[in-house]
Amino acid sequence: MKAGILVTTLIGILLLAVILSAGMGALHVSPAQSIAILLKQAGIQWDVPYSDQQEVVITVIRLPRVLFGVFIGATLAMCGTAIQGLFRNPLADPVLIGISSGAALFTVIMIVLGLQLFAGLFNMIGAYALSLAAFAGAFITAIVVYRISQAGGKTIVSTMLLAGIAISALAAAGTGIMTLMANDAQLRTITFWNLGSLGGANWQSLGVLIPVCLICLIGLPTLSKPLNALVLGETNAAHIGINVESLKTKVIVLTALGVGVCVSVSGIIGFVGLVTPHIIRKLIGPEHKNVFIASGLLGASIVVIADLVCRTIIAPIEIPIGIVTALLGAPFFLYLLLKEKQTQIVF
Amino acid sequence: MLKATDIWFKNSNRYLLQSINFEVKSGEVLSVLGANGAGKSTLLKNISGELHPHKGSILFKNKPLSAWKNHELARQRGVLSQHYQVSLPFTSFQIAMMGRYPHFKNHPLPIDHDIVKQCLHFSGIEHLADRNYLTLSGGEQQRVQIARVLAQLWDDASTDKLLLLDEPVSALDIQYQHHIMQLVRKLAARGFAVISVVHDLNLALQYSNRILLLKNGKQVAFGDTGLLNKQHIKEVYGVASELVAHPVENRKYIIITE
Repeated sequence: MKAGILVTTLIGILLLAVILSAGMGALHVSPAQSIAILLKQAGIQWDVPYSDQQEVVITVIRLPRVLFGVFIGATLAMCGTAIQGLFRNPLADPVLIGISSGAALFTVIMIVLGLQLFAGLFNMIGAYALSLAAFAGAFITAIVVYRISQAGGKTIVSTMLLAGIAISALAAAGTGIMTLMANDAQLRTITFWNLGSLGGANWQSLGVLIPVCLICLIGLPTLSKPLNALVLGETNAAHIGINVESLKTKVIVLTALGVGVCVSVSGIIGFVGLVTPHIIRKLIGPEHKNVFIASGLLGASIVVIADLVCRTIIAPIEIPIGIVTALLGAPFFLYLLLKEKQTQIVF
Repeated sequence: MLKATDIWFKNSNRYLLQSINFEVKSGEVLSVLGANGAGKSTLLKNISGELHPHKGSILFKNKPLSAWKNHELARQRGVLSQHYQVSLPFTSFQIAMMGRYPHFKNHPLPIDHDIVKQCLHFSGIEHLADRNYLTLSGGEQQRVQIARVLAQLWDDASTDKLLLLDEPVSALDIQYQHHIMQLVRKLAARGFAVISVVHDLNLALQYSNRILLLKNGKQVAFGDTGLLNKQHIKEVYGVASELVAHPVENRKYIIITE
């Protein structure tokens, strides 16, 4: 399939997902009304009647939530692509190798102990403190896993996945200790973080999320060429003029930023970063520029639709989005493992 | 083109290279010979810039190797290794195009496409251009890599490039061993300097002008291929041999007798 056709199709799917998701919920808004309300925000009048209540629900509640889905989905999928490129392995994923757990642990520590330990920091940067903690957690985990899993210029896949398991377990233990020290309100927040949810969406947190995500969404595709070259191995990439050390640093910093900020506002949403680039590579091949762009679009659609399912399927109860992505993603991961076992390409 | 003077390389307190001296000029093919563990690959890594000698100097085009910027060096010097671990399903064409990476910024130009096509043709694999690299045989994969390295150095304006080959034909069948080595000779005729690690002594005699003989990290001999004798072979490989006149070409042929 041509990359251009796929990207156009994915843009269409994403627009559809956004309009559908903005309209569905306890208060029904028709697609035409949704479009009219969204257009009005952009300053364009379209002659479709809607009530004030519908406008408020869309602009205050659903639009931020849909934007959350779009930016988090795109960022997680692109970070997944970048991490798979860096590890030269299609089984790497920020959640599987523990980066998200690291970010979540640091976030939880910040929630429970932040006010006592870093009172000054909280006063200074307020809402950004959680994002900063998540970034630090993601960054440290990414470096540790990368160092552990590299030997002689190659990634040892089993080591990478096992290191991810160990770090996730360690992070879970740390989170466990925090829950013992937490009060009721903090406990609820921690549970929310572990399962993932877009329920915390509002314009204020979008103010943190969007700029950081944009850094990733713009920055990561600029690394396409060196990431392509990296499939030859670090040494051979260096022989064709790639600065491998600088590439590694950029990927790890950008991924930690992206995963960190996503985890800090929505908790752990698994499998999007793993599955999305896979589907895209199947369709248009592994060239990173194309995979980045198409994965970003598909990831955004997946998270927006998954969130729609979460909040409508057994309404008024909301299912955490991490459960939905895991229900879809985990079987897919098992399928990948079985397939790789047959072709012997990865292991 | 490349001049190495008194190269010493140490790895965890053991010297892997001791006082290596040689020079390779434009148009020459230098074969580095020696038993396993003699330091052939280590020497090649020192020349490619992957490892840095602890003592001695390497001049490339009259400029110390360490003073070259990585991306500048990449336009002047290509390296072909024995093994490649590619894990994503790139096509042969995409892999070969990576050789052009030092030459364009973000998007390949029409000239890059043309050059890659020529290089695939040169290595005799244009029919594999759109095939998934991972589904190719070992020999086919190696030819894709050769096309990539060729594409890296392919440049009509200047032809004095350095090509480093680490056992380039070990995985290939006889037909392609000779096909590739003839290719190497053609490149040398264009002005390339080639340094190649080889195991097959007769292949080295057939296709190179110069040899560098190593034993336990020390230099046993360096000079024209004609200087190789059975004492050298006994010393380096520990086997007895006879050098006989080649029935067709005006050179020697080595027969191992024990």
